[in-house]
Amino acid sequence: MAVDRTLLFKASVKTVKTRNKAIGIGFDSTKDEIFKRTRPKSGFSPKAKEVITNITKLKDFLLQHRKDYVSAGSLISSDLTRMTDSERDQIDQDAQIFMRTCSEAIKQLRNEAEKKVTSSQIKEHRGAVLDLIEMYLKGVCKLYSEQRAIRVKRMVDKKRLSRLAPEHHSQVEKTRAIEPTEEKAVKEESSEKSTSEVLDNTVEHLWEEGRVEDELSPEEIQMVCYLRQHCCHGTFHPFPFFLPVRQIEGKVVEISRLQEIFAEKVLQQETEIDSIHQLVVGATENVKEGNEDIREAIKNNAGFRVWILFFLVMCSFSLLFLDWYDS
Amino acid sequence: PTTSKMAASVREKQTVALKRMLNFNAPPLKNTAAEPVWKVLIYDRFGQDIISPLLSVKELRDMGITLHLLLHSDRDPIPDVPAIYFVMPTEENIDRICQDLRNQLYESYYLNFISAISRSKLEDIASAALAANAVSQVTKVFDQYLNFITLEDDMFILCHQNKELISYHAINRPDIQDTDMDAIMDTIVDSLFCFFVTLGAVPIIRCPRGNAAEMVAVKLDKKLRENLRDARNSLFTGDSMAAGQFSFQRPLFVLADRNVDMATPLHHTWTYQALIHDVLDFHLNRVMMEEGAGAEPSPAGARPKKKSRKTYDLTAADKFWQKHKGSPFPEVAESVQEELDTYRAQEDEVKRLKSIMGLEGEDEGAISMLSDNTAKLTSAVSSLPELLEKKRLIDLHTNVATAVLDHIKSRKLDVYFEYEEKLMSKSTLDKSLLDIISDPDAGTPEDKMRLFLIYYITTQQAPTEVRAHETELNGTDKVHRLVFNQQIDKAFTKMASTPANYGNSGVKPMGLFSRVMNTGSQFVMEGVKNLVLKQHNLPVTRILDNLMEMKSHPETDDYRYFDPKMLRGSESSIPRNKNPFQEAIVFVVGGGNYIEYQNLVDYTKSKQGKKVVYGCSELFNSAQFIKQVRAADCSDMMLL
Repeated sequence: MAVDRTLLFKASVKTVKTRNKAIGIGFDSTKDEIFKRTRPKSGFSPKAKEVITNITKLKDFLLQHRKDYVSAGSLISSDLTRMTDSERDQIDQDAQIFMRTCSEAIKQLRNEAEKKVTSSQIKEHRGAVLDLIEMYLKGVCKLYSEQRAIRVKRMVDKKRLSRLAPEHHSQVEKTRAIEPTEEKAVKEESSEKSTSEVLDNTVEHLWEEGRVEDELSPEEIQMVCYLRQHCCHGTFHPFPFFLPVRQIEGKVVEISRLQEIFAEKVLQQETEIDSIHQLVVGATENVKEGNEDIREAIKNNAGFRVWILFFLVMCSFSLLFLDWYDS
Repeated sequence: PTTSKMAASVREKQTVALKRMLNFNAPPLKNTAAEPVWKVLIYDRFGQDIISPLLSVKELRDMGITLHLLLHSDRDPIPDVPAIYFVMPTEENIDRICQDLRNQLYESYYLNFISAISRSKLEDIASAALAANAVSQVTKVFDQYLNFITLEDDMFILCHQNKELISYHAINRPDIQDTDMDAIMDTIVDSLFCFFVTLGAVPIIRCPRGNAAEMVAVKLDKKLRENLRDARNSLFTGDSMAAGQFSFQRPLFVLADRNVDMATPLHHTWTYQALIHDVLDFHLNRVMMEEGAGAEPSPAGARPKKKSRKTYDLTAADKFWQKHKGSPFPEVAESVQEELDTYRAQEDEVKRLKSIMGLEGEDEGAISMLSDNTAKLTSAVSSLPELLEKKRLIDLHTNVATAVLDHIKSRKLDVYFEYEEKLMSKSTLDKSLLDIISDPDAGTPEDKMRLFLIYYITTQQAPTEVRAHETELNGTDKVHRLVFNQQIDKAFTKMASTPANYGNSGVKPMGLFSRVMNTGSQFVMEGVKNLVLKQHNLPVTRILDNLMEMKSHPETDDYRYFDPKMLRGSESSIPRNKNPFQEAIVFVVGGGNYIEYQNLVDYTKSKQGKKVVYGCSELFNSAQFIKQVRAADCSDMMLL
């Protein structure tokens, strides 16, 4: 259990002040208090704080409208609070733009921080701060994508519900079509954009596919209400021939989630592959240099041997000469 | 269901206190999507030792700590960032803080002192703050009362830095002065006081008479009493008591001195955690090993293969470790194998899915197959991080267990263990001491010395016979022999005064270890289980048992009784409370080790609903203990 000593500290400060006054050491404290010390405000911190406030604004906005956004809205009644689809689209678009700008701002800050840095500690600190902000942004994006996924699922549900059996096959075609296009979209996107944007695009694509089909007509709405009232007892029981379709659509949602995960992993691996590439290049350089050194060493060795032989031969000749000279 | 199980362990309490401190001394919010606030953490070596077993770097990052730095390092000014300090209130630390204030390194300062800061030091900081005109920047000053290191849920030590100040050697050396002893006692009592403040309970203290433990008990009682009397500043009122975490019962605090049981620190062991501590470099839940030591000599002219140092953290999150840290080593080896097999099975499952995915092409029937496997794939992908983590842990334990096994094989530690077990349980010995000592492969001279000491501690024979065996000792030289004699005499005199009974194990182990390692047959495991079931209590455990269950025993009847909550300090040793205790804390003054800890854990498991926490002033393994005993001797010994 920690004990708060702040008051005691403040009291000590007063004590020291009075003691100093008594001794006669006077600090020009009054002057300093009026004259606010102007510390060099580095641009980094306020900018980072700004990004955070923006992200918080987005989060509050999303949470505020979440209930309306997500509410199934009974198709029977038309509540005033119910959101129209166009409003929902607007929210989606705004949120996406916002998220994009925030991630851009983070990237910019990161580049700036790299350039202006003076000490390694400050560099590490700024890097960690930006990581924290990124995580926060990811959390908020997750909020958004959850909402979005629910909405998409509901729309897909609606479509399935309103279609009759003969159209079952065309739906299957449509869902199959959705998968490969999603994959293509993901492959394109994953190579350059950031995770949140990829997510946006995949979900967007899925949603766009859904939008191609017509809105429910009033007759269909009535039929659905009738069915609901008489057949469903509160929960929705699909007709037997809708079963495989429902499964498929469930799988589709799972696949989209999987693809999001894969895209993230691929991006991670991209940076790793880059660093490995650097390492490999460095390694080949080293090996080349090593080879050069070995060649030189061989040469020196050979040259050294030549000199030794020469020396020995000269010595033996000189001995012979001396011998001849003597005798 | 007893509330003692639901009560938070000391480790959790300390972690909660740290997290609170790191959240600017406010309780952390549960809201996960909260705005990040960044801060810088500054600690001294004491603070580092306290934090490192409890919080990993990742957890610190998640709490918003961007940098963590040592107090006495070069730190650059980072404006606009609040700084949280977690230091001991020593002179040098205070000076450095004042210097930081003068240099205006950070935007605001949250000062947290590990133990209570004195008024005069607070005034020093105040005057430095005034001089630097930084008073408004010093936002909060707290006394954290966290001056102890928690290693496990139920184990703590006092300190790791400067532990030689309160080591066994420091307390028991012959030339100790009263003032030195006082200083040591003050340090110990300060830490214990912090421990009880964090625990939030006032214990009932029992201690033996006439040794260091008694001195600690007297001082601790006095300190607790003073704090309780001071109604305004009492640390034991308020939230923690209101939470009723001790279910109307106070814990029992048993103080023991190292000298009551000198054999256990020398004992060879075979439980996983204790083995790691004995054989490898293990501090603060971190193992440091050298790896990549090539067995073959490197070819001439080439640079020798570099031995990389690897460190592994054995944490609370590591499920395998938590499950097996007290298991006998063969069991651990088996379990690692099992884990590896399950991991391989899961890996194969994922690989199989991959191949299925690849096979499925464009055909019509693909969709239905795909749907089935999609769910499997989703689950596989989401479990991938788990799987990777599992792999990392398996690798970790495989490396550690292999290193331990190498040591066991090269030093034949299993032989020593069995022999010592038999010695300590006074069962018949099938080999004579001489055989083991004279065997050149079995163990280092240190191992042999340990065996000798245990032999003479347990059999209480006159030490003169040992000297006859001196020549049998491998690699002994004159100094060795001399020290050895001294040690025997010392151990003998100590043991003669307090004969320790090591209890009966009642089972004959049959060279299990060598058989297991050689044949690895399942059949042999049966024998292991038989051995483990029978529990024999080490002296410390026995003392605890007697005191906790209010049993009468000549050893513990004489123990003193302190109750800081009673109005009048009574000198009687008659306990007022007749009920058995549900919670107990055992503290060994002079040092402890994992063998005792494991013994206590086993004892607690056998008793339902009891909670026991083990603490010691420092942790040492046999090698370090022998060094300290030697140092105690060398200080007054004349070398021939």
